[in-house]
Amino acid sequence: MLGKGGKRKFDEHEDGLEGKVVSPTDGPSKVSYTLQRQTIFNISLMKLYNHRPLTEPSLQKTVLINNMLRRIQEELKQEGSLRPMFVAASQPADPLGDNFREAQPAFSHLAPPALLPAELVSAVPLESCLTPASLLEDDAFCTSPAVQHDGPTKPPPPPALQAVKDSFSSALDEIEELCPAPTSAEAVAAAEAAADGSKAQPGVHAKAEGVAESRTAEAKLMDPLPGNFEITASTGFLTDLTLDDILFADIDTSMYDFDPCTSATGAASKMAPVSADELLKTLAPYSSQPVTPNQPFKMDLTELDHIMEVLVGS
Amino acid sequence: FLGAGGGNDIQWCFSQVKGAVDDDVAEADIISTVEFNHSGELLATGDKGGRVVIFQQEQENKTQSHSRGEYNVYSTFQSHEPEFDYLKSLEIEEKINKIRWLPQKNAAQFLLSTNDKTIKLWKISERDKRPEGYNLKEEDGRYRDPTTVTTLRVPVFRPMDLMVEASPRRIFANAHTYHINSISINSDYETYLSADDLRINLWHLEITDRSFNIVDIKPANMEELTEVITAAEFHPNSCSTFVYSSSKGTIRLCDMRASALCDRHSKLFEEPEDPSNRSFFSEIISSISDVKFSHSGRYMMTRDYLSVKIWDLNMENRPVETYQVHEYLRSKLCSLYENDCIFDKFECCWNGSDRQVEFLSLCTSGSYNNFFRMFDRNTKRDITLEASRENNKPRTVLKPRKVCASGKRKKDEISVDSLDFNKKILHTAWHPKENIIAVATTNNLYIFQDKMN
Repeated sequence: MLGKGGKRKFDEHEDGLEGKVVSPTDGPSKVSYTLQRQTIFNISLMKLYNHRPLTEPSLQKTVLINNMLRRIQEELKQEGSLRPMFVAASQPADPLGDNFREAQPAFSHLAPPALLPAELVSAVPLESCLTPASLLEDDAFCTSPAVQHDGPTKPPPPPALQAVKDSFSSALDEIEELCPAPTSAEAVAAAEAAADGSKAQPGVHAKAEGVAESRTAEAKLMDPLPGNFEITASTGFLTDLTLDDILFADIDTSMYDFDPCTSATGAASKMAPVSADELLKTLAPYSSQPVTPNQPFKMDLTELDHIMEVLVGS
Repeated sequence: FLGAGGGNDIQWCFSQVKGAVDDDVAEADIISTVEFNHSGELLATGDKGGRVVIFQQEQENKTQSHSRGEYNVYSTFQSHEPEFDYLKSLEIEEKINKIRWLPQKNAAQFLLSTNDKTIKLWKISERDKRPEGYNLKEEDGRYRDPTTVTTLRVPVFRPMDLMVEASPRRIFANAHTYHINSISINSDYETYLSADDLRINLWHLEITDRSFNIVDIKPANMEELTEVITAAEFHPNSCSTFVYSSSKGTIRLCDMRASALCDRHSKLFEEPEDPSNRSFFSEIISSISDVKFSHSGRYMMTRDYLSVKIWDLNMENRPVETYQVHEYLRSKLCSLYENDCIFDKFECCWNGSDRQVEFLSLCTSGSYNNFFRMFDRNTKRDITLEASRENNKPRTVLKPRKVCASGKRKKDEISVDSLDFNKKILHTAWHPKENIIAVATTNNLYIFQDKMN
């Protein structure tokens, strides 16, 4: 926090970053631009994941932070640098399991629902009648998980639109990679289906399990963005998992010296065997070396299964 | 106006301050909205604890021509209580987001107050008489034995100590999935709008079980959501026209006669981005936190993080005037992003509309360190003033403040790094007829007025 004359450590760090806007094409200042961008990216993720409000977080704030993350990822994609942003590599499944399921109903209206009352209303020519606000509320209460199961009827969005993603693990992202028509809702459904079979959605499940086309490694960069605005509660659920614990001690330069052994939460440590390896692989470029060029990230099904197991905590 | 003396310059003096003195601020006491009523006689504040406090201006004392009437507490009531949303397992804050007064039609006063989810119409009425002399009841309310009644009398009203009562007359609930950020009463005085992050609803003041959706920007796929509604207001004269602002710095003007659902705007006001000022935070600082029509309805004022802009409704492609509130923060945006200050929602207000003050055209908006800024559209001058208990004796003229952006700090200047970002002035209000302004710091309400000679 600025003020009262006391200089924070971060101030020193960021004094070099702030000020003039640096274009990414400037030679010597490219590093500082990249550094600034990375810092902002990390701050943005922390804001979304670290927050455990008792009340719903502000939608405006969430949207603005998401847009920031998306923009940065777009930039990275365009630059062709493929440091996979493996920042939310792991998810503690157990503490979130129930919450996850609770949140499930709210997911359902992320997929375009075929038969929600609101949709019916919108079929009526809007110019001719007013929509009672009461009808708009129904979509918030749609609890049919089956509605998500909409894949075949929905054209798969182009990879560029995948920028805003579910706030859950990259394991889910992997599932999406395998699904031809991924949305976070479906990925969640797939995860749930794969995980506990309680929601019998064989179609989606099969999709997840089956080998579908994998997205490009660049699309892989569109990693963990909490696109789930409806479930503002869900971001609150993720505070058990703090990126801090897994990746950064704090937002100072120590973030660039990743030490997997510092992850403190029990859930995170459970994930450590999987995440640490992945993270080391992917974070190595951060710490000391310049940006490494294309490293297509491939994950086969066995690794995926392993991650799913870890995710579910079995 | 900048206090340079002469002519039409206003010299602002400290008048009063309301609220607790100690530095330890109770969360519930944080002021969240400030609003004068249409005559200026009443000044309402809402706080984070869901309470509304109304101050009333004393009638001007003929002998004391040096100052206008003081504001004293008139009524205090609990408008909203915290609630729990069981579906999402989250609390619904009782914080009062906005208060809007209805024009006075009879002896009672009415205002709308809203939290994130529910709008309430409150009636504030005075009682200064009570009936006495009932036939069947004693004065204390006990019923008399009818057999002891031998004569009849007519009850009469006798004066009593003034009692101000607030009662909720309407509760407008269950129409907003997202957080309500604005309410605005239509010039027909029969309807009003309420806006949340994604939708705007139209209500009739008499009808609580139904409201109509007039704007809906919720995408079919929430993952595609990139823009939210930040503020909305009805046009002061045209009852079918309203505007709403967005988190991307746009303002849309809509006409309700065009279609039932005003998803297509009639006008879109947006200033092209200045490429030389481009940064990671361009979008965030362009997010509009407040929009206010001028009294004539010809102009509107918007507030984004660093500036106040005046728009002519006839020109959509750029504002006619831009005033920098605290440009020195532009180089600090990364820190302000990190500590969340960049998301602070500053409001803005025009000066009053009465003939007396109409020759003025002043815009007011708050900043940090308990500073607030005023911009004179006529002279293009601006001033920074501070709301502080120190150095403020009644009727002493406020000293202009100055922030030193960089370099050598002059005497009496404050450097950017010394600013206290916890002391923010988000809410300001201007008396509709006189040069009196109410400025809310975190938990105190300051009243300033111009020096009357």
